[in-house]
Amino acid sequence: MDTLDRSRAPEVGTPPAMTFPEVEDYRLDNGVRVVLWERSALPLVSLELQLRGGASAHPAAQAGLAAFTADMIDEGTTTRTALEIADAVDVLGATLTSSAGYDAGHVRLSILRQKLREGLAVLADIVMRPTFPEAELARVRKERLDQVLQRSAEPAAVAEDAFARVLYGGDHPYGASLLGTRESLQALTRDDVVAFHRARYAPGQATLVVVGDIARAELDPLLVSAFDGWSGLGVDPAPLSAAPAPAQRAIYVVERAGAAQSEVRLGHVAVSRGTPDFYTLAVMNTILGGSFTSRLNAKLREEKGYTYGAGSVFDMRVAPGPFEAGAAVATPVTAPAVADFVSEITRLRDEPVPPDELTRARNFLALRLPQRFESVDDVVRRLSELVAHVVPLDFYAGYVAAVGDVDAQAVGDAAGRHLPVEHMAIVVVGDRSLVEEPLRALGLGPVVVLEPPAPAAEPLPPVQEEQ
Amino acid sequence: MGILDIPFRKHRLDNGMRVVLSHDATAPVVAVNLWYGVGSRNETPGRTGFAHLFEHMMFQGSLHVPKNRHFELVERAGGALNATTWYDRTNYFETVPSHQLELALWLESDRMGWMLPAMDQEKLDNQRDVVKNEKRQRYDNQPYGDWDERIHRLVYPESHPYHHTVIGSMEDLDAATLDDVAAFFRTFYVPSNAVLTVAGDFDPERTIDLVEAYFGEIPQGAPLPDLPGETELSAVIGDTVRDEVVGEVPLPRVIVAMRIPPYSSDDFAVAEVTQAVLGTGRASRLYRRLVREKRVAKDVVTFAFPLLTGAGMLLSWITGYPGSRPEDLEVALTGELEALGDTAAEEVERAIAVTETDLVRSLEHAGERADLMSMFELYFDDPGRLNTEIDRLRAVTPDEVRSFAAGRLGPDNRAILTYVPEQEP
Repeated sequence: MDTLDRSRAPEVGTPPAMTFPEVEDYRLDNGVRVVLWERSALPLVSLELQLRGGASAHPAAQAGLAAFTADMIDEGTTTRTALEIADAVDVLGATLTSSAGYDAGHVRLSILRQKLREGLAVLADIVMRPTFPEAELARVRKERLDQVLQRSAEPAAVAEDAFARVLYGGDHPYGASLLGTRESLQALTRDDVVAFHRARYAPGQATLVVVGDIARAELDPLLVSAFDGWSGLGVDPAPLSAAPAPAQRAIYVVERAGAAQSEVRLGHVAVSRGTPDFYTLAVMNTILGGSFTSRLNAKLREEKGYTYGAGSVFDMRVAPGPFEAGAAVATPVTAPAVADFVSEITRLRDEPVPPDELTRARNFLALRLPQRFESVDDVVRRLSELVAHVVPLDFYAGYVAAVGDVDAQAVGDAAGRHLPVEHMAIVVVGDRSLVEEPLRALGLGPVVVLEPPAPAAEPLPPVQEEQ
Repeated sequence: MGILDIPFRKHRLDNGMRVVLSHDATAPVVAVNLWYGVGSRNETPGRTGFAHLFEHMMFQGSLHVPKNRHFELVERAGGALNATTWYDRTNYFETVPSHQLELALWLESDRMGWMLPAMDQEKLDNQRDVVKNEKRQRYDNQPYGDWDERIHRLVYPESHPYHHTVIGSMEDLDAATLDDVAAFFRTFYVPSNAVLTVAGDFDPERTIDLVEAYFGEIPQGAPLPDLPGETELSAVIGDTVRDEVVGEVPLPRVIVAMRIPPYSSDDFAVAEVTQAVLGTGRASRLYRRLVREKRVAKDVVTFAFPLLTGAGMLLSWITGYPGSRPEDLEVALTGELEALGDTAAEEVERAIAVTETDLVRSLEHAGERADLMSMFELYFDDPGRLNTEIDRLRAVTPDEVRSFAAGRLGPDNRAILTYVPEQEP
């Protein structure tokens, strides 16, 4: 080691290969699909019971119903009170949570292997036998209405909600936040929750993703016993209506008087998870805004100092989801920041990506794969995403090769097709008196002023500063 | 014997740098983690926020690594990286595919040994802007965003290093100079003030050689200066002290903070368990009674700050509903603090179980194991505390929780911060 050369990065060997086991994929007699990845590093089991159709399975007018129902299932069952459920989970040293996204509902359990039987019993109970007590329903509704109120005071949340609404309009399920609105939450009834539960929380809609230190021969009897008596097909979610056609580019401004920063979002209705351009878009977005060294962050943070961080994402769902670029930028530089977003997106469309930048993006995606499978919870998340988006379970076995095949030509073509910058919506939540005129002067499109929502979210308790 | 038996091995370089190796080849990744014994408590008057700004500068290049190159190389290798600044320490970490261990060691050693030649005014001005935007985004443009700053001012006297928060003030950030960067680097970023942990999939013998080669020639540095200000503190605040904000918040909120024994004290485990009895999970007292039964609060939060100097801090807040009277929220919350005098054995058992679960689950990630081992080595010269931490928690008795509550959570030790919406919504 005495000839250490610090002037250049060390030469290293070849990356460790990542092998993917054959995932078991089968059905129980009652119709529940089971996806099992056995892995025995630690005596832990993590699982998700997934229910097809989340917020996209109810009308936009019922915004919030899927998440409300998920929130209510552990508020009491025919055999346990809400407190007994919470106590049982804590004493087992488990975590049990329920939530809903746009395309699926999720009930997650993470537990020590030797407590799995008891944990499954609680999970099955809240899935099969919730009673939705009126008193708890009233309390949860109140809490959720107040969350709406809190979101209205948090600029990033205001920007997200406005962006979804501008892209999808009021009639599409993707146009409303998962939480719902004041109006929709007030209108929801217990009957709505019971009906949604009956349609969605049924074996015919359910997939159980199990990862950890357990073999099928041990798992199946536990499942049969926990889910004893659960039957029914439920109701298949209807396919979503087509997303609205791209509108003319416009800048939508939401007033936040005195704001120290503007929350900026740019984007459009892009692609579904089933797009044949999946890998190309993954590489392209890594270059644009999907990594620290991406062009948007390099320009807006490391070169200009306009923001703490800028990025972009293709939020792929069962139906076409949004492409969204964004940042929180200092108020005086709002318009120049918007101009930089537009010019970086345009540059990606107009100029070929240099080979070195392309290699970096491909390696970033391919080589970090092992990290995305480190814990059993990580693996459950990966597999559950595949299930929710109807992707074959052997997807990751071909991932590294497919990412490696993406070339500059493909990225250029995909940028042309999937980054229609002249049709993107631009949302800015900030101090109108300071940002509106400069935004208008950019000449990117008309400025439309949106009503701010009625009066906010909270910072996290322990605050440590991150790079 | 505890339930955890995570292997580790210690090593010390001649320049004083402490090294911890913890091998586990479950996943083909390796975590490299560096803790420096410097944080916002070391900042001198007029330079609040500087430790954190300095942390940003550590990513701006070093003698052999141009600006942006650090991030580029790690991302190109499929790695993840970041750094955080806290009151008592600053940590830097990357997790990379196992064959890239040497890359991480090269990058970390270059900035530990040769950072200053790469510093210039443009980089400082750029990162100052970034940090000011971080402050705007996370604090100034957020409802309740200044709670942290206000609570620290109430709990710690002006002369104490925890009186100000990590993010600091805009004025002090503006005042920082390149000379400050150089002085801070020479004083605190020295091998004798650092712990390096490598965890995950690696060859231990070769790794020792690599660490020696990359870090061994960096000069040791002088002993650290004393902490600025007065570090001695009485165990309790001495009174109930208050602050109130009438402003742009959607819902009323009451925050109560109390001095507790420092993280290094044996009693900290009691504080942690008490905190969990009070507010961790839906079976906790505050959630059960104030959210579910009395329905005076819509959410509850509790947290025990693991701070080293003089006193730590236990914090609890509850958020009311529109129109809730802050005085009612305060009475409800302080009432629960006093009621801890009747804490039952089952509640303590539950609190220990949830705390233990969180700890064990986090250990699946090499990065988390490395981070905790660095901390335990830096603070207590004992990375093995990772394995015995659960035993410390399990040893806490209901009696200890009850007497802790009586001695530490009373009206002579409370800082109360109230947020009231400007207009009733």
